[in-house]
Amino acid sequence: MAPDPNRAGTSAAAKDDAVAKKKVENEDLSDEDLALKQQLELYVERVQDPDKGLQKVALESMRQEIRTSTSSMTSVPKPLKFLRPHYGTLKAYYETMGESDLKKYLADILSVLALTMSAEGERESLKYRLLGSEGDIGSWGHEYVRNLAGEIAQEYAKRQSEEVPIDDLMELVQQIVAFHMKHNAEPEAVDLLMEVEDLDMLVEHVDKTNFKRTCLYLTSSARYLPGPDDMLVLDIAYTIYKKFGEYPNALQIALFLDNPQYVRQVFTSCDDVQRKKQFCYMLARHGITFELDEEMAADDDDREMLQDIINNSKLSEGYLTLARDIEVMEPKSPEDIYKAHLLDGRASAGASVDSARQNLAATFVNAFVNAGFGQDKLMTVQSDSSSSGSSGNWLFKNKEHGKTSAAASLGMIYLWDVDSGLAQIDKYFHSNDNHVIAGALLGVGIVNCGIKNDCDPAMALLGDYTDKEDTSIRIGAIMGLGIAYAGSQNEQLREKLTAILNDTKAPLDVSAFTAISLGLIYVGSCNEEVAQAIIFSLMDRSESELGEPLTRFLPLGLGLLYLGKQDSVEATAEVSKTFNEKIRKYCDMTLLSCAYAGTGNVLKVQNLLGHCSQHLDKGETHQGPAVLGIAMVAMAEELGLEMAIRSLEHLLQYGEQNIRRAVPLALGLLCISNPKVNVMDTLSRLSHDTDSEVAMAAVISLGLIGAGTNNARIAGMLRNLSSYYYKDTSLLFCVRIAQGLVHLGKGLLTLNPYHSDRFLLSPTALAGLITMLHACLDMKAIVLGKYHYVLYFLVLAMQPRMLLTVDESLKPLSVPVRVGQAVDVVGQAGRPKTITGFQTHSTPVLLAAGDRAELATEKYIPLSPILEGFVILKENPDYTEE
Amino acid sequence: MGQGTPGGLNRQGLPGDRKPDGGDKKEKKFEPAAPPARVGRKQRKQKGPEAAARLPTVTPVSKCKLRLLKLERTKDYLLMEEEFVANQERLKPQEEKAEEDRSKVDDLRGSPMSVGNLEELIDENHAIVSSSVGPEYYVGILSFVDKDQLEPGCAILMHNKVLSVVGLLQDEVDPMVSVMKVEKAPLESYADIGGLDAQIQEIKEAVELPLTHPELYEDIGIKPPKGVILYGEPGTGKTLLAKAVANSTSATFLRVVGSELIQKYLGDGPKLVRELFRVADDLSPSIVFIDEIDAVGTKRYDAHSGGEREIQRTMLELLNQLDGFDSRGDVKVILATNRIESLDPALLRPGRIDRKIEFPLPDIKTRRRIFQIHTSRMTLADDVNLEEFVMTKDEFSGADIKAICTEAGLLALRERRMKVEVTHADFKKAKDKVMFKKKEGVPEGLYM
Repeated sequence: MAPDPNRAGTSAAAKDDAVAKKKVENEDLSDEDLALKQQLELYVERVQDPDKGLQKVALESMRQEIRTSTSSMTSVPKPLKFLRPHYGTLKAYYETMGESDLKKYLADILSVLALTMSAEGERESLKYRLLGSEGDIGSWGHEYVRNLAGEIAQEYAKRQSEEVPIDDLMELVQQIVAFHMKHNAEPEAVDLLMEVEDLDMLVEHVDKTNFKRTCLYLTSSARYLPGPDDMLVLDIAYTIYKKFGEYPNALQIALFLDNPQYVRQVFTSCDDVQRKKQFCYMLARHGITFELDEEMAADDDDREMLQDIINNSKLSEGYLTLARDIEVMEPKSPEDIYKAHLLDGRASAGASVDSARQNLAATFVNAFVNAGFGQDKLMTVQSDSSSSGSSGNWLFKNKEHGKTSAAASLGMIYLWDVDSGLAQIDKYFHSNDNHVIAGALLGVGIVNCGIKNDCDPAMALLGDYTDKEDTSIRIGAIMGLGIAYAGSQNEQLREKLTAILNDTKAPLDVSAFTAISLGLIYVGSCNEEVAQAIIFSLMDRSESELGEPLTRFLPLGLGLLYLGKQDSVEATAEVSKTFNEKIRKYCDMTLLSCAYAGTGNVLKVQNLLGHCSQHLDKGETHQGPAVLGIAMVAMAEELGLEMAIRSLEHLLQYGEQNIRRAVPLALGLLCISNPKVNVMDTLSRLSHDTDSEVAMAAVISLGLIGAGTNNARIAGMLRNLSSYYYKDTSLLFCVRIAQGLVHLGKGLLTLNPYHSDRFLLSPTALAGLITMLHACLDMKAIVLGKYHYVLYFLVLAMQPRMLLTVDESLKPLSVPVRVGQAVDVVGQAGRPKTITGFQTHSTPVLLAAGDRAELATEKYIPLSPILEGFVILKENPDYTEE
Repeated sequence: MGQGTPGGLNRQGLPGDRKPDGGDKKEKKFEPAAPPARVGRKQRKQKGPEAAARLPTVTPVSKCKLRLLKLERTKDYLLMEEEFVANQERLKPQEEKAEEDRSKVDDLRGSPMSVGNLEELIDENHAIVSSSVGPEYYVGILSFVDKDQLEPGCAILMHNKVLSVVGLLQDEVDPMVSVMKVEKAPLESYADIGGLDAQIQEIKEAVELPLTHPELYEDIGIKPPKGVILYGEPGTGKTLLAKAVANSTSATFLRVVGSELIQKYLGDGPKLVRELFRVADDLSPSIVFIDEIDAVGTKRYDAHSGGEREIQRTMLELLNQLDGFDSRGDVKVILATNRIESLDPALLRPGRIDRKIEFPLPDIKTRRRIFQIHTSRMTLADDVNLEEFVMTKDEFSGADIKAICTEAGLLALRERRMKVEVTHADFKKAKDKVMFKKKEGVPEGLYM
């Protein structure tokens, strides 16, 4: 280490001083420097000359000297250095001068001199600039402009507090912004405008060459700005995108702001049908329900087609195209996933223990692995080979409520394929086993997840069952409706389901699932009536019932209503303070975490951490949702995400059991479908924890972080765990589920609720995930009990992680694309590469977490700048074959 | 796939079912620890707690509000962590318990411990070790040893009786390398350099600025230079400039002389180079200064002796470290030589050494400066006319001028003048003396 730390800071300054001192002595200067110095001194004298003509000449030449001087960036330009001793004289003379052009001239020069001379906080540069001739600002160089911008920001803050007019400042700002925008310094222009709170000015200054970079900077800043600035910034970005016809980006921002008005505007201001189709694909991926009207698509046929896309009716087709292209259509059995042959002997020997639990696990694994493929080796095969009579052999290898999950798994296998799915499930409706019927009902809901069909089959089939006698049938139907209509805000369902909630005689589990379904259907809507219904239902419950594990779904349903809605939750949060104390805090935490989910709000994380730092008596459960809440809030951006992982490490170290149990789940949510190595290591360590519930949560989370990635390392870990826990059926069950998740859709699906370059958060997907995670907070009672079908809530988050390019008639089109790790290019100079370490594939391709794709051919132009999901390609008219 | 018994799914039935097995994990007192995440070579970059403590990198590098916001976000989280940990420590002090644990671990380790070498890892908790005296042993690894850090060949602590592994020696930095670190900044600063303005600016741009202001390079969109070579006649100030860099920088400064890299045993030289750069990387931002690089960096040719080949291998390792497969982070390299023409071209190619800075013999202006610097603390007689020496057409290097001044001072001392004053005659004599030595015996002005 060179100098000691104390020296290190001051050495540079000291060196400068030393240099300066030496320079003062004339004999030390070289001849040219000396000449320059004398010349400048002469000018200074001349400026004070009474003769106007001489003054003018002197000022002119001084100005000339300063402007033409260039020097290394390490030191102060020489003319400035030599003029420093005269700053005071010039300043004093300035005061005595009469009003004239010359005075303004001198002010200009003083302004530049102040760049190096003015004392900290004096802002003399700005002062003289304002007094000066207001000429071209750029002629004095970048450094001057930059300094001026800094001083403006300070001055603005000061004037703002003193309420002094700022018109003269704004004029200068105008100049500076124009200068910056012309010279590739968009971030600086934006920064200045943010400081003076006048971003609107930006819109006039952006042009075709720089609006993309400007908007990119704006949108990435928005994540870190405190409200309401972030909304303002995004608003500007939206305006700019719209101004330059970048509608897909404008639509993204509209979706981020959750502003249907903006979405409408995008549709109405664009008149190209092909582009509208692309918009519809984006809406469909986001998972919101949206009705097109005449204004947005004039032609009836077009509108129908567009609506079809929004309704996701082609999703299954696209997914199967992908599967066929990658050649993974062949169904897989659970044994193919377990790969028991890779383990040494003892694991297979232990397989006979508690085979019902084993079979149930196999059912889930089978459902997850073959999700959406329409064929498998357990449920569909047997019903084909042996006709109607002994249909569903596998089904009857499950016991009681196990049959519910088994029947529902059929829905998962036919995911998104409504027609064939319903045909397959139909036969179970006529079963005389209530559990099977319940499963079939749930299955119908799963098939319809994210799909909207004109004839509303889910409503038609499930509607009648919600009021049946048998609770399992009711739960099946209610849950099915919740999954099928998530995010739809369907009035009819609201009436039907609130009626159940209001029925005080309804069993607790029915009300719990009803609350969740209502929460899913009205996710993020802040609907008053639904909230009322759930609140009343919570108040009506007796104290003993409030202690039940399933009760947690009631506050969760309430929370889902306010998902990501921030302040809107406050009224309801007030009401929740009047609840029975058994549930009060749990409800508080759930509401808080849901309302701020995906916002990255640091204050809320602090609040939640504060709750986690208490050491409680036994029986209080609210810390679990608080831990999950940290993950939900922090998952918004990469930085917060990584820092949250660090914080969770501390929770593990200091927390009590109930916190430690939730930490793995929070980690799972933070890195969902994104197997980060450090998180994987942590979870692997926790999966051997002495507390079996921590271990179970860690195992499930291993599945979550690897969901749909086929990650070999996680698969290996889980295989080893399966032999390690071969005697512990509960843990083994978790291991199996995790194995199923890792191979979700044979590696074609993702559970990540974030999409479009990690910019947008699909509310229904997040809702599904947190419902499942809340259920996992009490693993023993819910997932390992008789409500294992809550695992099917994950279906809401399932999306193919593909890039499928289609031509203008929406037929799949294979083109070469480069796929590589995404690089953050915000605020970088030039045209930096957006991906690194890429490989060239031809579409359709899979995109892993953090991957980005770009077209490798000039032949086509994508209609969306973000190559994810379905992307329509247009022929490039300028393309010439080489 | 057998059918389960009715009710088998019921959790309550489980303990009964499992009794006969007898091997229930929960009844065991000791849970075997989790297997290490990996066995064998440990990862260089991120190991243990250091990696976990590392903060996420913040892009963009250029100074802007976005960067500020991101850094503030990171800071917010760190503050929250601090608050949380402080709270926890207040609520539930863990120190006593930790103290207790620590003393227990110390008991288990025993004292004294012997130092050995890990030969091979057999399984999760067994290894083959050897001590310096000879035989190898198959021993156990105690559970509190961080197995992720163990790798074959590392130095370990062994129990004095049973020889089991009880710890590992973290610091494996070659003591040779730690000597190279410049702990005390040299006194020479830029102000002590006469002239060489262009050279100072070049070295500042290439070495100091990338470490202090990386964003400037990012803004322009170029990669900062990785290293510079200083070359020129002997005595023109190459080492002096390097000293000035070391004086002014707050980065770690490692200095080596080329000949230090030549070692007695085969493979030691390259190893030293590797260690050197690894340490530089660990302590980054850092500057590595290799003086007299021609000791190892000469052109490759058919070497006949093992020693020459070894020197060449050392250079090859240096080549790799300068621009090889692994990227070096904030490590800048300064090389110095006075025989640049004999260096291997591979060493000098752009990408390894981006800037070649020549140190010419001083011109008249510079000579004057150097004379001023060296005579500034001497008492000169009135008759001394330095201009005479400045204007002379002899080729002086900076070192020669210093020698003249010193010599003149010595001559004055020899005459034991009461008021030690250096006269012009002293200078003249000193100059002749210096030039005499330089021109190898031909006295200056003899044949004029």
